[in-house]
Amino acid sequence: MIRILVLLCLAAPPALSQGNRWWAWPADPDPRSVERGRGEFARACGDCHAANASGTAKGPNLIRTARVRHDKDGSAIAAVVRSGLTGMPPIALTDSQMKDVVSYIEWAVQKYDRVSPGPPPDDYPLERLLTGNAADGKAFFNGKGGCGGCHSVTGDLAGIAKKYPPVFLQSRFLMPRATKPRMATVTLASGEKVEGELKTLNTYDVTVLPAGGKPQTFPADQVKVEVRDPLAAHRELLLKYSDADVHNMFAYLWSLQ
Amino acid sequence: MRTIRVSACLASTLAAFTMAGAASAQTAGEWPALNGDASGRRHSPLTKMNRDNVAGLTEAWHFKAGAGVIKGTPVMVNGILYFTVPDQVWAVEAATGKELWHINRPSRGDRIANRGVAVYKNKVYFGAPDAFLICLKADTGEKLWEVAMADVNFGYYMSMPPLVVKDKLIVGISGDAGDVTGFLKCVDPDTGKVLWTWTSVPKWGEPGSETWPNEEALRHGGGTTWVQGSYDPELNLVYWGTGNPHPVLNGRERAGSNLYTCSIVALNADTGKLVWYFQPSPHDTTDRDATESVVLIDGVFHGKPRRMLAQASRNGLFFLLDRVTGEHLLTSEFGPQNWSLGLNRRGEPMPNPNKDPSPDGTLFRSTGTNWWVPSYSPATGLFYVNANLGVWSLTYLTNGAVQDGLPDHQGGRESPLSPGDAALLALDYQTGAVRWKLGYGNPAGILTTASGLLFTSNSGYLVALDERNGDTLWKRNAGGPATNAPITFEVEGRQFVVMAVRDTVYAFGTK
Repeated sequence: MIRILVLLCLAAPPALSQGNRWWAWPADPDPRSVERGRGEFARACGDCHAANASGTAKGPNLIRTARVRHDKDGSAIAAVVRSGLTGMPPIALTDSQMKDVVSYIEWAVQKYDRVSPGPPPDDYPLERLLTGNAADGKAFFNGKGGCGGCHSVTGDLAGIAKKYPPVFLQSRFLMPRATKPRMATVTLASGEKVEGELKTLNTYDVTVLPAGGKPQTFPADQVKVEVRDPLAAHRELLLKYSDADVHNMFAYLWSLQ
Repeated sequence: MRTIRVSACLASTLAAFTMAGAASAQTAGEWPALNGDASGRRHSPLTKMNRDNVAGLTEAWHFKAGAGVIKGTPVMVNGILYFTVPDQVWAVEAATGKELWHINRPSRGDRIANRGVAVYKNKVYFGAPDAFLICLKADTGEKLWEVAMADVNFGYYMSMPPLVVKDKLIVGISGDAGDVTGFLKCVDPDTGKVLWTWTSVPKWGEPGSETWPNEEALRHGGGTTWVQGSYDPELNLVYWGTGNPHPVLNGRERAGSNLYTCSIVALNADTGKLVWYFQPSPHDTTDRDATESVVLIDGVFHGKPRRMLAQASRNGLFFLLDRVTGEHLLTSEFGPQNWSLGLNRRGEPMPNPNKDPSPDGTLFRSTGTNWWVPSYSPATGLFYVNANLGVWSLTYLTNGAVQDGLPDHQGGRESPLSPGDAALLALDYQTGAVRWKLGYGNPAGILTTASGLLFTSNSGYLVALDERNGDTLWKRNAGGPATNAPITFEVEGRQFVVMAVRDTVYAFGTK
């Protein structure tokens, strides 16, 4: 629901903070209790409800069960575990085991409800990403991609794969984080030129920061603006990649250990 | 320009079959509903503010609410302006900004936004983060009743006020977690009693369920109804857009078109029965809600008078339908994308399965818009929308690969690469052609007036443009882009335009 908002960088994606909670329980479960509860749940409940609480043919999905969702303090879950239900036998857990199992279920519900897709975590499995062919990636790098015009695998890219988590590398070779600012030359009506770092460019204003100077703002409709974007080649290349090119390039760059 | 003049002329001859009932309150100078009336056009009949004097627009008053970001559209009825943030409502004098009352009802739930209130017969209605619909006395803010519209524990919340339809309230719902299913409810404004409910996803075995592979997939739900729809009193049809299916990015578990998610539906206002549907994004796999405004257009299409409905959808396509039958008239792209294989025989896009999120990442390009309500001007025949053109990202199918193997309702992840170009577009409703475009549009709503003005936010300014060509007639730096949609009203003989920037409401008037 908020994907475009995030991409526009208008605001940080809303954190699942205390002010933005909908779960019946008042606070996030203790991570240590969740960790203990994970194993306990798998052992005591996993056969029927699956180790991830999403249910099997023998037992319902607990993540979308009203009894779980409405349980403010774990007492409703505990009552079912201790007494059983039709089709579910009572399960003997100590008080501390019960607390940990409840923590794990609460954690699973909160994880399920994650609001924003966001990027994959840094530990996203390499084997999922390594579907391309490094030789074809090398050919793209030196051929269609024209990457060698700016980069060298023995120079700036030497050992690039050691510097980043794999999933991060895949995003960043497509669109690096700019290490140099956009520069602009503003030509005034008088013919005078002002050069500097481009700070603002929109319908109405252009602001540049000349080296060692102060920012200068001009009406955008009264000047000519020439922008030099250090990432221009990367932007143009996005139009040329097939998905296979992306994965081949990743395989090639990942080989640069 | 010739085309525009012709369509404007024809449109005016068809004025007889515009919705007189819906426009009557606006004629009195009020702005009584989110979009001015139930047509979704956001077009005001007021003309005191016009091309000749708008350059002299000055601040009449401002009101610093000081509580979060005002994303809601104010409503003005009987000289009182009402606006909101989640949990809170203010009533101020429309002419002066003087506070009359303010209520705060803290609640649990998602508080990403509140879009405003509805006003009906001296009562004010708003939705809360805990999915309650609340009824207040319009003159004092005293609470008369509150009724839960959905279960907050599953992540349901209310951000949108009801749409007043005849003597009833039509209530939509927000929420994108916990496998919730969207719905519309018809509510008695006196008691909060629910008179009918239409759900966005059918039960297994019902019509539409054949577009899901099995009951389990269908139970993941989707199709929330979080942007206000529209109503045609003569056809007695309520029109609404619905949101994405679940899991959001994982379509592999829900082969089929997944009705009625990402759909435009027409419901009988008295019964809630589905009369027709059109699906802007069949089998959505990238969160392309079709919840955007459904705007009623009365005019000609290829020389023939038609009662139409238009949507600039989140998937970057502009749709024009016959709103009597749902017949598809036009689909056009308003920006670049790389996910569609073309249109099916119903005029709906056919998503390219190779562009679905994948475990190794899919290079995805999209264009779209969102809750930034558009406007339609009968004088120009143009549909105005703030859009985001050519966004690049990598989309991942991640089920089981992250979060220790736990499932989640997204089923995928998205890494942004390049944000695309934000722009204000003026679309010819008959062809979808971009008649003019102004770069650097802000994600704010749009207002047009019968005097030929277009208000929105651009480049961080609040602006008034000439609706014919996008020329800037007035601009104001209020410290950032508008965070809500502009409205206009007349009170004590003076026309005002109102916009919010973060926690402050600004009213501007001509001298």
